[in-house]
Amino acid sequence: MNSLERILATVTGNETDYQPFTMLLSLYGASLIKSDTSTYYRDPEIWFEGQQAVVDTFDPDIVISPFSFPIEASAFGSELVFLNKYAPNIRKPIITSLSQINSLQIPDFEKSEAIKFFLRGNELLSGKYKGNKAIASPIHSPADLPSLLMGIEMWIDTLLFHPEYIDRIMQKTVEHFVRLGNEFLAGGTTFLVVPVNFTNPMMITEKIFSKLLPYLESAFRQIKGPIVIHNGGCKIMSFIDRFVKLPNVIALVLEHTESFDEARRIIGDKTILMGNFDGPNFVNLNREKATDITSKILNNRKADKHFIFATSNADIPYDTPVETIKTVVDTIRNFRKYDSV
Amino acid sequence: MTPNTLKTEQKQELIASLINEGEKDQAIQLLNEWAIQTSFNEVIFSILEPMLINWGKLWMQGKLSLAHGYISGKVAEEFYLLAANDPEFKSSSGKIKGTVILGNAEDDFHPLGRRLVRIYAQAAGWNIIDLGTDVPSEVFIEKAIENNADIIAISAMMFTTAKNILKVRQDIDKNGLSEKIKLAVGGAVFKLRPELVSEIGGDGTVDTAIDSPDLFDRLINQLKIRN
Repeated sequence: MNSLERILATVTGNETDYQPFTMLLSLYGASLIKSDTSTYYRDPEIWFEGQQAVVDTFDPDIVISPFSFPIEASAFGSELVFLNKYAPNIRKPIITSLSQINSLQIPDFEKSEAIKFFLRGNELLSGKYKGNKAIASPIHSPADLPSLLMGIEMWIDTLLFHPEYIDRIMQKTVEHFVRLGNEFLAGGTTFLVVPVNFTNPMMITEKIFSKLLPYLESAFRQIKGPIVIHNGGCKIMSFIDRFVKLPNVIALVLEHTESFDEARRIIGDKTILMGNFDGPNFVNLNREKATDITSKILNNRKADKHFIFATSNADIPYDTPVETIKTVVDTIRNFRKYDSV
Repeated sequence: MTPNTLKTEQKQELIASLINEGEKDQAIQLLNEWAIQTSFNEVIFSILEPMLINWGKLWMQGKLSLAHGYISGKVAEEFYLLAANDPEFKSSSGKIKGTVILGNAEDDFHPLGRRLVRIYAQAAGWNIIDLGTDVPSEVFIEKAIENNADIIAISAMMFTTAKNILKVRQDIDKNGLSEKIKLAVGGAVFKLRPELVSEIGGDGTVDTAIDSPDLFDRLINQLKIRN
């Protein structure tokens, strides 16, 4: 059973030879090949070299194409800042007044260096691993992207008090999402990963969520492949009943404090659940603690055939010891998932 | 029961309910009507502030969203502006606790946390001079001297912009102001990396905007003890 077969078995609810797993090691690829992050997040060949090192070192079942939402937002014109040992961030949003929404340009895929970085990185990853591993492509939710284009405050303010501008920007972000998502899938991606850093109950009210849902439904319906909803570092439990009803959604990645049992009570047994080891906290753990947390998650989901072990939240930090990650991987590989169930 | 005959707790619940629905203007209108019937002091101290304190606690417990905090902040901000124009409220307002020069660090363009600090600290009796986003160190120092400030409070979201606060620390010390002015820092990066507070020379931080008045109280007390 190769990695892709293992993941597909999880989709159909069949037994696997061992517990399938993935980790968000996008940034960590730079650490493994000792690359500075400003080069790593600009050059798809360097980035791919880092991801090959991730596979060679940890052999996850799912590999992840270039992951950086600020870079995606930079394709619209937002200014980036590159940070040593961290993924890049937004220095300055492109929209500073609502009237600028009208002139906001959707990225030209032929010209945008940011989009070319994503698509070339995905192409390299697919060329090497397609058919063997599942390839996941992170893409910013069309409802979350405005928070990087105009800042969180202005996006909340728009959603609350300037409804006439919601449709104008959402039309543009939905069009971009559908185009980029389908480009990823055509380039070999197995499924899209859509984090909900903004569209979650820690950030917005139910009323705002209900305004955004029709746009998500329209966008997801136009995607020609499966979609995984990722917590984005926020609790999502009170919204998951709506997320699983969106078109093409096959899986949810829970935040690290959220309960799989509660999620199962809400959404039933069929949707894949993923999680929920806190990725950014890896750097603070010794091997015993890492083993303990991994074992607890595995035992909690022992009988769950629709479960994929995954890190939740953001990237595993650059300075995390390799041994800590290997300890987690070894614990997963040695776990007897279906024994005594 | 009409809004006019509600008990205080029911009025708090009604305002909370309107804010929950995003009905900012209705909430302000209702608060204003009650203020006309009683006084701005009565409405602020009996209804609005207890409700905000309760919401702050719920927000910290993860039971309310950032958007809830944003709407409640907007309601408070606009109602305080109405109150500020009321002669009775102005004459009866308590003593100002102190002056805070507030702003985002140089190169930082993330205003939400700073705006919430301003709202909650003003409500708690602090004179806040808000310099906005992307404020150079020299401007913080100049405005602090000009306004005889007690505290400079700086918000930064990212590691790179938080490092720019170190220049403010150095300029406070260089100008011989360290016995007169405290440096408060806050923002997402300080939650992730608490050691950064001392690395960039901060005198204190808090996790959420609602706690900022307590931090300012602590810092000004340290100044009073020292002086």
